[in-house]
Amino acid sequence: MKINSLSIDEVFQSLVTSADGLSEEEAKRRLAEFGYNEIEEIKKRPLIFKFLSQLTHFLAILLWVAALFSFLSEYIHPGEGMLTLGFAIVGVIFINAIFAFIQEYRVEKALAAMKKLLPFYVRVLRNGKEAEISAREVVPGDVVTLMEGDKVPADIRIMETNEIKVNNAPLTGESEPVGITKEPFSGEIINSPNIAFAGTMVVSGSAKGVIFSTGMRTEFGRIAHLTGTVTPGTSPLQKEITRITRVVTAIAGTTGLLFFSIGYLIGRTFWENFLFAIGIILANVPEGLLPTVTLSLAMGSQRMAKRKALIKNLTSVETLGSVSVICTDKTGTLTQNKMEVKKVAELCDNAPEKVQGVSLFHIALLCNNTKEVEGNLKGEPTEVALYKAAVDSIGHIENKRLKEFPFDSDRKRMSIINSMRDTTYVLAKGAPESILQISSRCFKDKDIVPFNEAMKEKSVELYHSLMDQGLRVLAFAYKEISSELEFGREEAERDLIFMGFIGLEDPPRPEVAEAIQKCREAGIRIIMITGDGSRTAAAIAKEIGLIKEKATIVEGAEFLKMSDAELHSVLSNEEIIFSRMTPKHKLRVVNILKEQGERVAVTGDGVNDAPALKRADIGISMGTGTDVAKEAADMILLDDNFATIVNAIEEGRAIFENIKKFITYIFAHLTAEAVPYILFILARIPLPLTVMQILAIDLGTETTPALGLGVEPPEATIMKQPPRPRGKGLIDRKVLFNGYIFLGLIGTIGVLFAYFFVLNKGGWKWGVELPIDAALVHQASTATFLGIVMMQIGNVFACRTQTESVFKIGIFGNRLILWGILAEILLSAFIIYHPWGNKIFSTAPVPLSVWLLLIPFMLLLFFAEEARKFFVRRKGLSTKP
Amino acid sequence: MYSKILAAVNEHLNSEISARYALKLAKACGAKFSLCFIAEKGLSQSDFNRAEDAMKRLFIEAEKADIQAESITETGEPVKEIEKIVRHEKINIVFASTRREDVEKRFYAGTIARRLSLNLPCSVALVRVVHMGRIHPRKILVPLKARIDHVRERAYFTAKMAECCDSKVFIFHATKPITKFFHGEVHLTPLEWGKRLPDDIAGFMRYLEKYSIEHEGRLSPGRAGRSITTEAAAKRFDLVIMGSSKRSLLSSIFKGNPVEVVLRETLCDLIILNPRHEDK
Repeated sequence: MKINSLSIDEVFQSLVTSADGLSEEEAKRRLAEFGYNEIEEIKKRPLIFKFLSQLTHFLAILLWVAALFSFLSEYIHPGEGMLTLGFAIVGVIFINAIFAFIQEYRVEKALAAMKKLLPFYVRVLRNGKEAEISAREVVPGDVVTLMEGDKVPADIRIMETNEIKVNNAPLTGESEPVGITKEPFSGEIINSPNIAFAGTMVVSGSAKGVIFSTGMRTEFGRIAHLTGTVTPGTSPLQKEITRITRVVTAIAGTTGLLFFSIGYLIGRTFWENFLFAIGIILANVPEGLLPTVTLSLAMGSQRMAKRKALIKNLTSVETLGSVSVICTDKTGTLTQNKMEVKKVAELCDNAPEKVQGVSLFHIALLCNNTKEVEGNLKGEPTEVALYKAAVDSIGHIENKRLKEFPFDSDRKRMSIINSMRDTTYVLAKGAPESILQISSRCFKDKDIVPFNEAMKEKSVELYHSLMDQGLRVLAFAYKEISSELEFGREEAERDLIFMGFIGLEDPPRPEVAEAIQKCREAGIRIIMITGDGSRTAAAIAKEIGLIKEKATIVEGAEFLKMSDAELHSVLSNEEIIFSRMTPKHKLRVVNILKEQGERVAVTGDGVNDAPALKRADIGISMGTGTDVAKEAADMILLDDNFATIVNAIEEGRAIFENIKKFITYIFAHLTAEAVPYILFILARIPLPLTVMQILAIDLGTETTPALGLGVEPPEATIMKQPPRPRGKGLIDRKVLFNGYIFLGLIGTIGVLFAYFFVLNKGGWKWGVELPIDAALVHQASTATFLGIVMMQIGNVFACRTQTESVFKIGIFGNRLILWGILAEILLSAFIIYHPWGNKIFSTAPVPLSVWLLLIPFMLLLFFAEEARKFFVRRKGLSTKP
Repeated sequence: MYSKILAAVNEHLNSEISARYALKLAKACGAKFSLCFIAEKGLSQSDFNRAEDAMKRLFIEAEKADIQAESITETGEPVKEIEKIVRHEKINIVFASTRREDVEKRFYAGTIARRLSLNLPCSVALVRVVHMGRIHPRKILVPLKARIDHVRERAYFTAKMAECCDSKVFIFHATKPITKFFHGEVHLTPLEWGKRLPDDIAGFMRYLEKYSIEHEGRLSPGRAGRSITTEAAAKRFDLVIMGSSKRSLLSSIFKGNPVEVVLRETLCDLIILNPRHEDK
């Protein structure tokens, strides 16, 4: 039993109040107990803690330890450059933290948008007198007056009503105003016609009621609470970055420790070993990865915006690529939301107008709330379509509306009492089953006859056939009454003469069928969630290729009765449509799909869509949606078009593949950085690369070409593959092998060749130890540095595709890569040839011969990768049936 | 188990509403129902009258429901006086309401509600009244920890509350996500989570079956407090029944306190049960 099922006296008793409202003293007491009537921000982890967590994960801790030892080393052995190194490492930690934070950061504005839907002032009865008070000060038990244009301040049980109608759109998504009664209702509060809900608006009439729930306890507050608390969890990309970080930390930490121990065993000093260990760790840490990923995502979001998909937080760009299910609305997303009358079906061929002066179009025209404003029709799309068709058919009619019984979702019909040509009529329109239920007569050969079972059956067949054509069907009925009678709703909507049906069509968007086919090929399931009836929904779904023969169709009423286990089983089916649903049910569908391990995208535009939009991996709001939905969403569709979602998914998949490409690119040079270091300690060769040079490569020279990889267009087969499984991440054995071993070792050969070439040319003999600041050592390490830079130029071209030949997509087709390489060369030239660069990075100019020497190795690396791709393609072809 | 139930009433509306829960339980258990009002020193006449009026209304409700009822009015320190009544009348369970100002205090330390819960020699049900529109809860959410004491009494209390309101019970256990170092969080389906149902919770469910109470259960990974309030809001629960916190102050500071989070954030009424009956 709930407040809506009680009589007014019982309501007063339950809330310990009266028709005169509360006393000021009691109101104060209740205010202290229940708090202000306002939408409260949900307590969240402060931003500073979120940022601090980026400084304390595994990799960061490893780097902090390295920095600490560098500072300690500087303290014990001053002047060896360890201070600079320490600061450089701290810089790396902060750069990574800032970029990781940028990815996660998102300003929450959905609740702020919700707050705007509540009023500032409200009229209440206090001490038996009406007073206007701040809406945030109302409490349960307050008696309030609602007038036309008022925003409803709290959940109110109506006790007196004067034809009040409210727009419940923020709660139900239905833009049609509904009438409110005062009679007890035994169903759920949310469906109750005797409650005015907070956040809704009085469209006409007035009422008096008693508040039973305020602030976050209202239905509106419930939506706010869910919007503020539900989260999609960590995004796939964030999980992957964490995973990569852990793998890299393990590799770096282990190799660092291993070679520290080896160095110790072969008799190197502690500080030599320590310097070496730090070098090994830094050589293994891809410092530039996070900045590159972040910038790549930012560029991806810009590209999506050009395709009319506005991305609100960066990681969503990649999450889109992993979507496995799309839950989509029908009207406006799959269809054009341009209703038009397609079919008129009357039970009797003879126009009844000749008998009583009323035709089906008379009802369609008059039982209609469409308004003509400056030549434009304003109203709900279905009504506008009926109005247009009726005016086209019978023109404007002189009439007077005497009374209206507005549409409500319970009755599924509206009716009016209307005076026309000195006669008074009840005119009704609504869902077929609803109108058939209140009709007892119909026409047969110009005669009015009882509407018997056989005729009702014929009518049902008729409207089913219309629905099967994908039409939204409305039924129409009327009766003539004596004008003197004061009719109540029940009396008016009884014993009507059934007239017939009108079928309206909302044509599908032309590009949707192709987009759905694309989703099928890409293994993405599409679940339609619509307020339309099953037959209409199924017919449209068939027309656009969403379902074939045996789809599962679940109606709203059936959905409510299902347990979670039953819903799990239903949602495992391939083709599903949810019909006669309201947005509030979406959250449950999303939750269950997520429990099944799906990555879910959901569309929505209303206030009550917000929790589902927040919970989904990708919440998609329509550009025409409410501010609350837009704020809660991750992506806004500027054209409301389903095809745009599919385009965005394609872009998201491409970005995932591109991130994978530049991870291979980055990993490849880590080997070339680490191996010379290992030789330095094991073979006692002069220092081949300084830590500062490593940082110059990781955070400088290789970043710009990597960004170019981030904008590679999707490969042709990208939407022909199923969504990647949960376990499949950015790095796997293949990526590690290709990066570290295959490309890495080829690059290392070139790098070492340049290094020994310079040493040899400078007269160095094997086994001779050179001082660390000798000019030859600087020149040799510069050759190593240049070698890595040159190898990465070959590598960036090689990494542009994963299996396709780069020649097929045009070797110079990516301008950003070319600009990136130019920037890389200029920066390298600065480091190698400018005195400032020499000073900071301990480099020395190298002759042109070193550059020329490295070119064949660069080409070798590129063609070796082309050969590998060729074999992969051949293997792939041979395994196909 | 409960033959004598006491509800503490004062001048605040929420105490009257929480006493209605006690009244329902008394009806379901066929227990004697006692109402007590302890007037503290310095209480104003209007507050005194308000409490007396509430007692009268509740008394009338009890009579209408055909429940044997008595009312006790005393003056003094509430916790001490209620303790005396409990000992003297051999009360099995006391219903007391928590107030908003209690909830705003960290770990509601030092509040009368907290002291009653800790000091009384019988079971205590602390009621947080949040939503006045849901008079008879039809859906009750029962969040449980993996290891629970007094399983029998908790199940009995839940079953009787469900019985008197003809409610359906949903058992919810928020658990830590399963993670692997290199793999990160491991996704489990509800069926797989179901296989990890802790023994105590399974025992609780068996008791509910014994009492023929319709129930469902669910495990979900996440932080307990926030998961409970979100579950309650998403599925429109009318009442949450949970156990009192056993976490120490230090543990609460570092690990958080789910009971405190639910007390603050719940959108439906909440009963925090501190059971004292020994399992036999």
